Amino acid sequence: MLKSKTFVKKTRSGGVMKIVREHYLRDDIWCGSEACTECKQESTVLQTDACMESSLCSYPHYLIPDTNVVLHQIDVLEDAVIRNVIILQTVLQEVRHRSAPVYKRLKDIIHEKEKHFYTFTNEHHRETFIEREPGESANDRNDRAIRVAAKWYSQHLKTSESDTDGLKVVLLTNDQGNKQKAEECGLLYLFTCILVEEYIKSLTANPELVDRLALSNDDKNEITSSKVLFPEHLPLSRIQAGIKSGSFVQGTFRASRDNYLEATVFIQGEGEDGTEILIQGLQNLNRAVHQDVVAVQLLPRNQWVAPSSVVLQDEGAAKDDNVEEEEEEKAVNITARKATGKVVGIIKRNWRPFCGMLNVSQIKESIRHLFTPADRRIPRIRIETRQASTLAGQRIMVSIDGWPKDSRYPNGHFVRSLGGAGEKDIEQEVLLLEHDVPHQAFSQAVLSFLPKMPWAITPEDMVRREDLRHLTVCSVDPPGCTDIDDALHCRELENGNLEVGVHIADVSHFIRPGNALDKEAANRGTTVYLCGKRIDMVPELLSSNLCSLRSNVERLAFSCIWEMNHEAEILKTRFTKSVINSKASLTYAEAQMRIDDTNKNDDITKSLRGLNKLAKILKRQRIEKGALTLSSLEVRFHMDSETHDPIDLQTKELMETNSMVEEFMLLANISVAQKIYDEFQECALLRKHPAPPPSNYDILLKAAKSKDVAIHTDTAKALADSLDVAKVDGFPYFNTLLRILATRCMMQAVYFCSGMDNDFHHYGLASPIYTHFTSPIRRYADIIVHRLLAVAIGADSTYPDLMDKHKQSALCNNLNYRHKMAQYAQRASVAFHTQLFFKSRGILNEEGFVLFVRKNAIIVLIPKFGLEGTVFFDSKDKVAPSIVFDEEIPGVSVPVPDAEPQAKKPKLDH
Amino acid sequence: MATVQVSEAEKVYILHGIRDDLRVDGRGCEDYRHMEIETDVVSNTDGSAKVTLGHTAVLVGIKADIGKPRPLVPNEGYLEFFVDCSANATPEFEGRGGEELGTELSNTLYKVFNNKHSVDLKSLCICPGEHCWVLYVDVLLLQCDGNLYDAISIAIKAALFNTKIPRVRISTDEEGGKEIELSDDPYDCMRLNVENVPCIVTLCKVGHRHVVDATLQEKACSVASLIISVTHKGTVTCTRKVGGGSLDPESIFEMTEAGKRVGKALHAPLMKVLQQEEHLGKKKQKVGFLG
Repeated sequence: MLKSKTFVKKTRSGGVMKIVREHYLRDDIWCGSEACTECKQESTVLQTDACMESSLCSYPHYLIPDTNVVLHQIDVLEDAVIRNVIILQTVLQEVRHRSAPVYKRLKDIIHEKEKHFYTFTNEHHRETFIEREPGESANDRNDRAIRVAAKWYSQHLKTSESDTDGLKVVLLTNDQGNKQKAEECGLLYLFTCILVEEYIKSLTANPELVDRLALSNDDKNEITSSKVLFPEHLPLSRIQAGIKSGSFVQGTFRASRDNYLEATVFIQGEGEDGTEILIQGLQNLNRAVHQDVVAVQLLPRNQWVAPSSVVLQDEGAAKDDNVEEEEEEKAVNITARKATGKVVGIIKRNWRPFCGMLNVSQIKESIRHLFTPADRRIPRIRIETRQASTLAGQRIMVSIDGWPKDSRYPNGHFVRSLGGAGEKDIEQEVLLLEHDVPHQAFSQAVLSFLPKMPWAITPEDMVRREDLRHLTVCSVDPPGCTDIDDALHCRELENGNLEVGVHIADVSHFIRPGNALDKEAANRGTTVYLCGKRIDMVPELLSSNLCSLRSNVERLAFSCIWEMNHEAEILKTRFTKSVINSKASLTYAEAQMRIDDTNKNDDITKSLRGLNKLAKILKRQRIEKGALTLSSLEVRFHMDSETHDPIDLQTKELMETNSMVEEFMLLANISVAQKIYDEFQECALLRKHPAPPPSNYDILLKAAKSKDVAIHTDTAKALADSLDVAKVDGFPYFNTLLRILATRCMMQAVYFCSGMDNDFHHYGLASPIYTHFTSPIRRYADIIVHRLLAVAIGADSTYPDLMDKHKQSALCNNLNYRHKMAQYAQRASVAFHTQLFFKSRGILNEEGFVLFVRKNAIIVLIPKFGLEGTVFFDSKDKVAPSIVFDEEIPGVSVPVPDAEPQAKKPKLDH
Repeated sequence: MATVQVSEAEKVYILHGIRDDLRVDGRGCEDYRHMEIETDVVSNTDGSAKVTLGHTAVLVGIKADIGKPRPLVPNEGYLEFFVDCSANATPEFEGRGGEELGTELSNTLYKVFNNKHSVDLKSLCICPGEHCWVLYVDVLLLQCDGNLYDAISIAIKAALFNTKIPRVRISTDEEGGKEIELSDDPYDCMRLNVENVPCIVTLCKVGHRHVVDATLQEKACSVASLIISVTHKGTVTCTRKVGGGSLDPESIFEMTEAGKRVGKALHAPLMKVLQQEEHLGKKKQKVGFLG
């Protein structure tokens, strides 16, 4: 039976519109309970023996949470203890409107079979649908709908009695008013309504759940220091009006890593460029947390300040007072002043669960403790827990619930424990979570799109593919590499020219647009390499087998083939899908040995020599054009094969062959970028590297000046040249140090869609156009580029999203974000392993270099370990040496102490 | 306009009947045919009404939209009329056949309704000189059986009565920029005062007498008719003569008087019926188009 009913809704789009949607009510929506005999349902979700040991409800019961309970207490609902819950459609819809992340988590719970969560579509049920009444607000109507549904359930379960031994429903709410109204009708229909806090507390078997309760704002036993610490946030309406009128600006809040009292707000400007506003002092920061979207009011020009050069780590409330003193005595340097402002309101909180450690309170019985997040930019969080002693020494996750204006720290609640701090797996999990790296195993849906094994090349695959199996192709990679995505060949043609081919794994052949596999890869964006672990972008079958261009197997490839003369000038370029059969998978060292060994003269070696010769010419040409050679320290760990603990570490060595492969990859990328841009002006996915603003070079110039070396930063070429000649006698490492600093001056290279931008220049490579084509196994951008190129040469068909510049632009944003996070995760992983390495080493003496000088600390780099750390002059137990700080040329008039590795430990350990 | 063929003998029969105040269908000269009114029939309009008069059926829908006031009257809203002569009503309207009639009807409706004496146009003003409500009155002819003007005017009055305009607020920010804010309560709306909205009474001169609410047959016997719009107080707001024949001043006077009388008598029961329906609220049984 189908009933139809229309209801009206007015919305506004420009003017005023009345929208009418048909709303069909039906009577074939089942209750989902196992105990029900009336409903003709095929499968049930809710169990008959729905027993949760609650001292308030001794009978079996189903829970119906209202919207606010779901929104605020999702952590509790996620717990395995909470089962047999009815999620009403009203609740689901409201949650969806109010918070996308919570909605996603709720959906995940519902899909979990063991949780017995049932979605009841009460809005379409004939008996539970209600219409909004005159004078009733939308919220009141929804609350009423929830009550009506609860009432229906209790009646329904009663009538279908027989074997239901007093099965009841319990409405969970955290709103007193709603509870009262529910009790009025609940008395008649025998359903109970309980405040969620009380219910959770009544779960006698699981006391630990109480910790996961989010603190509600009206919690009376709040630690309230009588003084209001922060100014009130403005209401959203005033913020919006202010932004419109220009008195406030909107931006992303970025806390400083070095100084907890300082932050910048990044204002997205026209196009790519944005401006930054400095925020200083607790009051002005006004409870904003890293990554929040905030409204900022600029201070009058005479109150503008320069970024402080103090390194401050929040040690607790006691320090508050002297901090303020320090602020006052700030050196007033007119030139260094920056636009300064204060946060007047929060537009959007960007809170996520944070990983970190619990600082157990000194007072023994206290249930309030401070939590120190692993990310230094996040303030400490005050949580309540009764299991502090067990949680101490563990990595835990905590969510922020709110930050009242009279509290020094935000309030939060415990979400879950990850495990003991310092354990490798746990720490790895922490840094994956902290960097938002999707690292779950691939789902069945994703795996279902993998090719069936055993896989072989079929004749259909050969259509539109060139057979290059006869060529002497080989791959050169770092040792232990299993995802080989590129291979090379070089041979002499009959006309005396050279044919050079770059063959890239044809991943886009296996990952078809739009399927679950593709979506997952697009979301992951990149493979993340941690020390001793790889988090794949595509399932292992593809990454290490079918797409990996291993030796002596037939593999599908996408080839870029040039005809060059001996001066490395490109005479002809062509792209084709192909089949190759690599003759050898070499490491850089092996390849180097073959080239150097004059006795060897086989095809592979000849091919390598040809490549190497051309690569050298290419590199020289590139550097002449102004490409930068920058330096950053990369360390490799030698792992113990049994314990996977690092036993030794070395900085990466670069060999000729490294740069040989690199040169051809760059060349292929540039050729492909040109081709896809010529073909698709509007929707080519390219990569650019903007020139840094001159102010970025300050640190580099200052550092160079300290040794009386001049660095020119006008153009990339000038910079490259002056870096080449910047040498100090008796200080061979100086040049490398300058290059490390120069790297930090650079902007991030980003992916973008050609239709959305008009500046394509790649500053670092000094190339007018660039993209990523050569690593489709580990980067999603390359897959898109492959698809574009395949369409351009007629080897594959296109699809709408590929040609939609807005969709592509959105994809680029995700890829840029994932790449950035992957980089950070990688660094954090290295840092952690360095820590592990030192754990067993004790005190070592190594040579270190001062990178930056701050007012109360120096940043020191130890090249041998690629380790960078902050050394404070005044630590707790040592008296600060008298120091004179000069802002102009940061320098301190104390001899730089030999850096001791221990000083660096606080960096991660807290 | 839809016409019927009437033979001479029939004409004489009709003429003689009217002379004796007895019309073919048994009515007196100043009687209307059976009339049915239903409001709120089209859910996606802001106000609507369906009126059947004999076999004539019209549907009126009103949509309120925000527009810019006319420069000459910055503090008033206005009405827009469109008459759609659907081919459902009569095959003659097929293609562009009904266009001429539609324009003629809507022109008359402008004259009758779009002035501040009929509708309180000031109440349609949101922000003088900048925003006002524009009421788009769409008339759809469903069936033609004579006396379109009267049926349309009654339907418009009923639809205006039924119209619910969402209540809006003007918020001003610090800079003086104005923004329209809409209440999120669908029941929070403004009603129009329809007390002064006139109804049209069409009088057909048949022989020496005149009749109200002429059927198509009677119309065929008539040489000319007079359209009079009358308010509930009996004030004549507009007259118009249609038809090929001529009317002598004396009969014009007589017809005007009759029109005033009939019009006045029409308003009271109409308002009563409308209010009754309104009071039914949700209990109202919808008839719609299949009833």
